[in-house]
Amino acid sequence: MTSLALTDVVANYGGARVLGPLNLTLAHGERVALVGRSGAGKSTLLSIMQQHWQASGAALMPQELGLVPSLSVFHNVYMGGLARRPSWYNLASLVRPFRRDIDAITPLLERLGIADKCWAAAGELSGGQSQRVAAARAIYQQGDLLLADEPVSALDGPLAELVMAALTEAYPTAVLAMHDVELALRFTDRVVGIADGAIALDEPSRRLSVQDLLVLY
Amino acid sequence: MLGRLSLVLSVALPLLLATSIAGASPFVFTAIPDEDETRLQQRFQKVADYLADELEVEVRFVPVKSYAAAVTAFRNDQVQLAWFGGLSGVQARQRVPGSQAIAQGVEDPDYKSYVIAHRDSGLTPVEGDSAPEALRGLTFSFGSKSSTSGRLMPEYFLRNDFGAAPEEIFERVGFSGNHSRTISLVASGAYQAGVVSYKAWENEVAAGNVDTDAVQVVWETPPYPDYQWTIRGDVDARFGDGFSERVQQALLDMDDPALLESFPRSGFIPVDNDDYEIIHQVGQQLDILD
Amino acid sequence: MWRSATVRTSLGFVVLAIACVFVADFEISAHAPWAELGRLFLGLVQPDFEAVDYLGEAIVRTLAFAFVGVGLGAAAGLLLALVFRHLVVRTSCAFVRAIHELFWALIFLQFFGLHPLTGVLAIAIPYAGIFAKVYAEILDESDPSPSKVIPHGTGLVSALAYTRFSQAWPHLVTYTAYRLECGLRSSAVLGFVGMPTLGFYLESSFAQGQYATVGALLLLFYALIATLRLWARPRLLPFYLLAAPFLLGDGLPIRWQNVSRFFTEDIVPEPLRQGEGLAGLVPWLGDLLANEALPGIWNTLVLTQIALVATGLLTLALYPLVSHHFTGRHFTGRVRGALGHGVLVVMRSTPEYLLAFILLQLWGPSMLPAVVALAIHNGGIIGHLIGRRSNEVSLRPDAPRGIERYAFELTPRLYGPFLAFLFYRWEIIMRETAILGILGIATLGFYVDSAIQEIRFDRAMVLIVITALLNIGVDILARRLRNRLRLRHTAQSEP
Repeated sequence: MTSLALTDVVANYGGARVLGPLNLTLAHGERVALVGRSGAGKSTLLSIMQQHWQASGAALMPQELGLVPSLSVFHNVYMGGLARRPSWYNLASLVRPFRRDIDAITPLLERLGIADKCWAAAGELSGGQSQRVAAARAIYQQGDLLLADEPVSALDGPLAELVMAALTEAYPTAVLAMHDVELALRFTDRVVGIADGAIALDEPSRRLSVQDLLVLY
Repeated sequence: MLGRLSLVLSVALPLLLATSIAGASPFVFTAIPDEDETRLQQRFQKVADYLADELEVEVRFVPVKSYAAAVTAFRNDQVQLAWFGGLSGVQARQRVPGSQAIAQGVEDPDYKSYVIAHRDSGLTPVEGDSAPEALRGLTFSFGSKSSTSGRLMPEYFLRNDFGAAPEEIFERVGFSGNHSRTISLVASGAYQAGVVSYKAWENEVAAGNVDTDAVQVVWETPPYPDYQWTIRGDVDARFGDGFSERVQQALLDMDDPALLESFPRSGFIPVDNDDYEIIHQVGQQLDILD
Repeated sequence: MWRSATVRTSLGFVVLAIACVFVADFEISAHAPWAELGRLFLGLVQPDFEAVDYLGEAIVRTLAFAFVGVGLGAAAGLLLALVFRHLVVRTSCAFVRAIHELFWALIFLQFFGLHPLTGVLAIAIPYAGIFAKVYAEILDESDPSPSKVIPHGTGLVSALAYTRFSQAWPHLVTYTAYRLECGLRSSAVLGFVGMPTLGFYLESSFAQGQYATVGALLLLFYALIATLRLWARPRLLPFYLLAAPFLLGDGLPIRWQNVSRFFTEDIVPEPLRQGEGLAGLVPWLGDLLANEALPGIWNTLVLTQIALVATGLLTLALYPLVSHHFTGRHFTGRVRGALGHGVLVVMRSTPEYLLAFILLQLWGPSMLPAVVALAIHNGGIIGHLIGRRSNEVSLRPDAPRGIERYAFELTPRLYGPFLAFLFYRWEIIMRETAILGILGIATLGFYVDSAIQEIRFDRAMVLIVITALLNIGVDILARRLRNRLRLRHTAQSEP
């Protein structure tokens, strides 16, 4: 895999054009921040990317997180690895988790500061804890590409950095929709600004400052 | 867990079926649940033990819940011998070619039904062969829909005497299900009158279950043939030549009062299918038999 | 208030029921029921536990049939729920659940005879239809977003297990546990047609007027249902399920030729069997429709309508018995709540057949005993569910008390779920009129029973199919009404 490309993609909602047509190419090892006003089309673009690149090993971390509230934190993280195991193994794991999976997942939870919640039901967690569980799941999936929609929106300062560091370390190639412009600049190589369903800005992060991005808001 | 559950069941059920289908089948008999059915198992177990001794095969009694269930079990060859009423016997023999009525109670050639009425209905006992005219316009309960003494023959006599169907004679017609229930429904006044087997009435009165101040016998029907033992035609092939004659003989030889009390009869006499022709005709006439 | 569609629909139902009361037969004709009823109540307060020789066995069998029947039904229902969107599956499920388990038993009795399979299938088949529908609804209601994050290449089974089933699991368990209670009732009732469960002895003792035995059997049954939560622990269920198939008893051996005979002869209409062809079939069918089906349909509809409204009124009167907003939460309140719970257990666990017979003694033969029996039985069930729902409502600390609390705070909030429950119950009430037909009230069930007693399965099958179609019709109507009134369609509200 050298590059991923979207060509002339469009999205309609209720008969009205909400996105595109736009073209975007993503190089391998490139981390892109999607920035823009809410409603500009970032989430729409991410879901189009997911549809296109799902089969190429894209891991998704949607804004609504997609956790199963009735399952434990462990199982929610384990779900990232479902495709690596046969069905019988996954079913058995649902009844009684295997030692080796626990050993693989525990350090991840420790790094994100939620190891103590390993056996709590995901539905009982706070918003910040839930977001870290979803991040852990995306990391555990070990895909080739991460598509994350506001991955740290519910986390503050140091925790947000911790999670961003973990995510970017696990995924050299990523598209991250973010509203925290400062974090976006620090953890990505390239910034794509979306306004009114079109690409309004596409520059390497190192050339941009926070002020440059304010025009998008 | 549901997955585990279906796995367990898919293993256990065929196992269960296999064990119940295999194994030598015993000689099984049943009896129509005409009255005292709570003790049916207990009482007929004695009859089963007697037959086992006489016939030297394993004999089992199986209780059923309705006349139709007795006929069905006989027809399905799940029972080979049955103590039927007049009508259920005809129904059964019609459906199992080769089956034979082999014995009836001493009382059965001249069986009869009692029409009973609540005191408040104003009916007084009458003698004679025709039903009292005063029954007209009352509410009336039969017993089971396929009972000979609780429905078929009384309905036949009523139709003859009144020249009309029960729904036209009576203000309301019901089927209580069995004789004991007819008695309690008439005693409570829920129905003003009803009809029961005379044996059932005598039993219930003797047992002290009837409030004779509230309910009394007002008419006795003419006699007709009723209960009989019927055996399947294919038992000789399964249990050995001459088996049905041996069963018949064992029944005719039954003289222990403790056994006869189950029926209740004073003894058994030989009978054959033709003795029930009248029941057959009446059944067809009332559109109960095809 | 009168502009609300909910209120207008409710009033429409009440008016229709009142109209039905005028055409229905409601005459009271018993003169002296007190002697018989006195004996009955004496039996209930002085139960004789030694009178039934096979009491222990009857309880074991009742449990075994319920566990195997509900277990098989749930397993089949779960598989069907996954393909429930197909029209064929939906229609077949609607059809099998529209036939009462007693009728299923009567059908299987014809060819499996008194074999445990008869009782097991009589529960499993209609329950599979019900489970399929409710499980499918529960699964549909689960949040679809976890399915989106499942890694590409995950197997279907793993994906379903981790997303839909995991989310729906608590609801599936709650519903299945509720259904187990229904299964115990069904299992007991199957005794009425000859299965070796509690109902077998209950019916016999009742027919014989041995009320001390009836009392003992009923009290045992109430105890079994009331303590269900204590002994039916999720962890113990696999053991129960494993043991149950071996505790069904052996019955009589099945002869498979009876099965083919049933399908190739018994249910073939008589004129066709006699070789009269279509010329004979038309008058045969016409006669059956005019003399049995149409009067049966009319009586079934009238009885159902009145019973439905009576059930609703009774439910509204009874739910405060088990609502802590009325009983209170402290010690005396909990005692009152337990008493209310007991009353509802007795109401919903007494087979409607028995209630109807007791009331028949009281009022004589008419539709009245049937209506009241159905209302008591179903009112007990919905009252219990609405009471439970009311406990989820939290009131402000200064909310009014007593009748104002009932009329202004709780009933308006519970009215939507109440109507949803009642509409779900509509079809079930209609199905239950069938059993009362066996008691002599001229519903479709009465004619089905007559045909079976006369060993005419061709007629019985036609009437059973008509009964099923009528039930499906009512079910569709109820669903339309629920949608029109926008009653939230929660699967757990299926009683």
